Amino acid sequence: MSIAEKTRYIQADTLIGKRIHKMDAPEKASGKTRYIHDIDLPGQLYGKILRSTRVHARIKSIDTRAARALPGVHAVITAADIVNQRPIGVAKDHMPLKTDKVRSLRDEVAAVAAESESIALEALKLIKVEYEDLPILTDPAEAIKPGATLIHPEPRLPGGQDALKPGAPVAFTGKPNNIAMRFDYCHGDVVQAEAESDVVVEDTFKLHYVTHCCMGVSGMIADFDSSGNLLMYSNTQVPFLHKREFAEYLNMDPGRIRIIQPAIGGGFGSKLDIYPFEVICVFLARAAKRPVKLVFTREEEFISSPTRQPVLLTLRSGCKTDGTLTFRTVHTLHDNGAYTSWGATTPFVMMQTFSSLYRVPNCDYHTTAVYTNNPYAGSFRGYGNLQATFAVEAHMDKLAEAIGMDTLEFRLKNAQAEGEVSGQGMEFHSCGFKECLTTAAERSDFRRKFAENVRNRNSPDPIKRGIGIASMLHVGGGAKIYPSDGCGTILKLDDFGQVTLITGASEIGQGSETVLSQLVCEELGLPMSAVTVVNNDTAITPWDVGVHASRTTFIAGNSAIGAARLAKAKVLAAAAKKFECSAEALDLRGGYVIKAASGEALIDLPRLMRNLHFSDKAELVMTTFYYEPPSMHQDKGFKGNVSAAYAWASQVVEVEVDTETGIVKMTKITAAHDVGRVLNRLGIEGQIEGGVVMGQGYALTESLIVENGVTRNPNFRDYKLVTAPEIPEIDIAFIESMDGEGPQGAKGVGEAPAICVAAATANAIYNATGVRICGLPFTPERVYRALHGKGEKLYLAPEKAA
Amino acid sequence: MDEIELYVAPSSLEEAAAYLQRSAEVTILAGGTDLMPQSQGGRLKIKRTLMNIQHIPELKGITIDNGAIRIGALATITEIMQSELIRQHLPILVEACDHFASDQIRNAATLGGNVCNASPAGDMLVPLLVLDAEAELASKPNGSLTRRRMPLTEFFVGPGKTRRGPAELLTGLRIGLPPANHYARFFKFGTRPALDISAISIGIAGVLKDGALSRVRVAFGAVAPVPMRAPRTEHALEGRRLDAATIELVAGVARDEVTPIDDIRATAWYRKELIHNITRRMLAHVAQT
Amino acid sequence: MSLKHDIEFNLNGIKRRATVRVDMSALDMLREVVGLTGTKYGCGEGECGACTILVDGLSLNACLMFAVDCHGRDVVTIEGLAADAKADALRAAFVEHGAVQCGYCTPGMVVQASHLLTTHPAADAEAIKRGIEGNLCRCTGYKKIVEAIASVSQAGRQGATP
Repeated sequence: MSIAEKTRYIQADTLIGKRIHKMDAPEKASGKTRYIHDIDLPGQLYGKILRSTRVHARIKSIDTRAARALPGVHAVITAADIVNQRPIGVAKDHMPLKTDKVRSLRDEVAAVAAESESIALEALKLIKVEYEDLPILTDPAEAIKPGATLIHPEPRLPGGQDALKPGAPVAFTGKPNNIAMRFDYCHGDVVQAEAESDVVVEDTFKLHYVTHCCMGVSGMIADFDSSGNLLMYSNTQVPFLHKREFAEYLNMDPGRIRIIQPAIGGGFGSKLDIYPFEVICVFLARAAKRPVKLVFTREEEFISSPTRQPVLLTLRSGCKTDGTLTFRTVHTLHDNGAYTSWGATTPFVMMQTFSSLYRVPNCDYHTTAVYTNNPYAGSFRGYGNLQATFAVEAHMDKLAEAIGMDTLEFRLKNAQAEGEVSGQGMEFHSCGFKECLTTAAERSDFRRKFAENVRNRNSPDPIKRGIGIASMLHVGGGAKIYPSDGCGTILKLDDFGQVTLITGASEIGQGSETVLSQLVCEELGLPMSAVTVVNNDTAITPWDVGVHASRTTFIAGNSAIGAARLAKAKVLAAAAKKFECSAEALDLRGGYVIKAASGEALIDLPRLMRNLHFSDKAELVMTTFYYEPPSMHQDKGFKGNVSAAYAWASQVVEVEVDTETGIVKMTKITAAHDVGRVLNRLGIEGQIEGGVVMGQGYALTESLIVENGVTRNPNFRDYKLVTAPEIPEIDIAFIESMDGEGPQGAKGVGEAPAICVAAATANAIYNATGVRICGLPFTPERVYRALHGKGEKLYLAPEKAA
Repeated sequence: MDEIELYVAPSSLEEAAAYLQRSAEVTILAGGTDLMPQSQGGRLKIKRTLMNIQHIPELKGITIDNGAIRIGALATITEIMQSELIRQHLPILVEACDHFASDQIRNAATLGGNVCNASPAGDMLVPLLVLDAEAELASKPNGSLTRRRMPLTEFFVGPGKTRRGPAELLTGLRIGLPPANHYARFFKFGTRPALDISAISIGIAGVLKDGALSRVRVAFGAVAPVPMRAPRTEHALEGRRLDAATIELVAGVARDEVTPIDDIRATAWYRKELIHNITRRMLAHVAQT
Repeated sequence: MSLKHDIEFNLNGIKRRATVRVDMSALDMLREVVGLTGTKYGCGEGECGACTILVDGLSLNACLMFAVDCHGRDVVTIEGLAADAKADALRAAFVEHGAVQCGYCTPGMVVQASHLLTTHPAADAEAIKRGIEGNLCRCTGYKKIVEAIASVSQAGRQGATP
């Protein structure tokens, strides 16, 4: 500060809780942001995939000669052209280019790289494939029967081991039946608990196929440099896992694989797995020795993207007349589709809801996932929790009614509080569950409307109003399902007081770059304009497991704070030396080093940085931090505190049901979310509003219609996303339970808002009409049929114990 | 493989008719809102000549003369919606336009295109039927322009099929001015205000006097291979006082008269239920008018 | 070999020529021939609005339009609205109100909103929702988009210069 400047005092202020503009919004709003579709590499070729025209068939022959001869075609590949092709996916049952069989209609049989998309498409038409049809299995209940055609009957290799590479994971060698996976969980004794229950209810629920419908379709660019290093432009949500897995599938050193993530046109969990098209794109680049860009059409996106896991489940719940929940017994049948992706692992999350949403002393959970020739399911915002919550919250209403207890009281009685540990071992260090319930109920005038609607059920007006409540529990502090659930940050502060925040956490439209910058700026007392974020290049950024499980704000946030605090300590130590005081007496605020007690500005940060840099003992401020949350891996019984924090929400849905058409109009959603603490108010509202409307789609309008293995509505004309005029009034309240481990007390919220909308809607329809509908979506026809006694009868055959 | 060999954009009806007369291998381009997705999706192959008719003045405009309104085949849905003439005399068309797709599509889609596509669920077709609209067709069979008119009830033959001859162009729709006390309403079933292919749609029109409709016209969409007039329903309605019993009777006749199919949008049973319930609801509204 | 056709049209205020395949969509022409990537491919069928452009002052889905049909017409894309006052106000409002998440639908939304406010300068929330019913968004749930557009509409209503 020059002598002429007066003493400045910097006012205390905070960024936390404020409405912070999304940093990349101006570029996006002007159309300048380049998504993967907008990126072209010099000399690139265009890749296209030939997909199966049969649902289940042996591939007898593939003739690519005519395709290869087409001018402009650089490469045509089939499985036969790939030496040592390795299977992908969590169960390693999925060859990118199919070898002897196609098991579903989207199966990839061949691929072409050509000078233009139209030449590539023309070449596809010239590829002749001979098929021999096999029996088609589309019902898991049929596919599980003894004697059913096996979807994956590969013979065992001698010794049962993969002969490809020492230490490599065992290549999939086929199954003796069509069971892909099984999950069994229990805590307590449900048999005893059922005997002690005063009321027991049982229902079968059917949860359907929906799909992500990201506005930006899938695509990738693969490019090998002259040293054989691979560069992929990819919209993956898990770049570091991708790096490692691609190395395995391509038999490459992972150090020679680099992933750059362009702006993404939506994720929602669709980009958490490796898909055949990605590996095929690399195969094409390798074969053609040119960069290859492969982008889906929308129809291709519908047909070959993973779906949400469809579930047929039977839930049996009990309680005592005093309202205490006693047990839940769950059997679920999952249609695994033709190949195994993350959909098969949704039971990890589903069992958490059945075992721990409300206090449940006894719980028994079983899933059988069965191969069929249907599309396969992946991970999708909520990851099984929508399906489980739909069942749990139906029974919360049903049990309350059975014992004559107020439905809200029943929930409050069984809602957990801070300090409790669930039957599955989840530790609720911060818990705003009851506050969520009471807040949502009060703001929506729940009790009064509920009673009034029941009274009006038999009124002459064909339009019936309904109000329903449902809650959800989800991980909010990461999920320790990989060896590490951590995230790394590298932070540098330059001579001008500008911060470069290098984070492993990807931005998928949810605003992670903005909230991470916000947390850093809060620590360093800098404005948002001081930060540049680098988050999209595996050559630069430190490891992060990926954007899933609503973990990014919590884990990447703590990581960023860790690095910022180290930077702050360095800066204050230097300032302390310069001003001959203790570092504890100083703080950073408004771009200045200040005296903590008075707020008096001592020196502006840029000047201090330059002092540090251009001194005898030159120093730059560069810090790193890796944050691993204090959660634990579940044991073999799936028990353990898998997340460092948990989040709750209660949502009240209000509907109008037109009983003459079955149309259900969602008029209002009142959402109360325990988020720990609101960081970016603008961003978190956007997440909740978007999630709620996604839940509305799941409840009312969206349905991927798959018949005999064929997707009948692979387009927006007949797959109905919610449009602007259909949205309800949305009222959001935040419960700030101030989690001790969370960054500034915050917990994760990315998935929460989508999770209990359908459950609350089911309860609202029941409130309006007295009819409970156990299948989704609540299309007008389904509702109308249910109201007229023609509803679908749902049945899940009890399975003999394995 | 047959590729497009010629692209033309005639500036007169004569020129356009001459192209059609010379060859059957002509695909007509108007707004393109249906042609483009059908072609890109491989459901329709553009013929050797692509003829853009958007520059033909005679096909444009909404005019009134001789007691009839003439809507040019190229009139867009937006133009129809905003036309003072239509708003004043044929408000049922405005109602139908409001339910049509989206603003972006309304700005480009033409009435002629909607009529010639002859979708059983075509949004504009049901109201046109209850307005007794006529199709105006032109061709040039013997070197000079020949015109003819056909009631729309005869124009639709099957899904996507009309009686427009291969060398004919639809030049416009002609609708006689409705008489005094004319009542006409359109209902399109859907969960969205627009951007929906309807499961069913209903048009009811007639002269409303003393609580009864005469010169009744009833049309249904998406419940038959073509948008259909419903003569039995009309007969049941004609001249009858609209009390609760009559309304229930007519709704029942309507339900029995339609022959919908099951498809991914709805089942036949449900469509029939909707026809019954919504016809009843619409007639109750007529009774209160 | 597919038939090609030469066209001449006004693109974002500048007269230009292009040679296009006769069956090419205006969307493909803009992205591939002209090289403007702000107009997005969302579905190719006119159901999502990501490709919304202005032609002779009306908003249209570029994916439904034939490129040859651009001949002699005035075409404006999101890039052409860079200096437009109303679009500027909309962009600022989108940022201010948190109406952008992944941003893929945003160019189409801004173009459509711009057209909406030209034809309905005082559009209220209900009119706005109808006005953007042909624009799909998967991230935001539309609420903040409607609020952003309404804020510009309000400004128009109150006579403030947008």
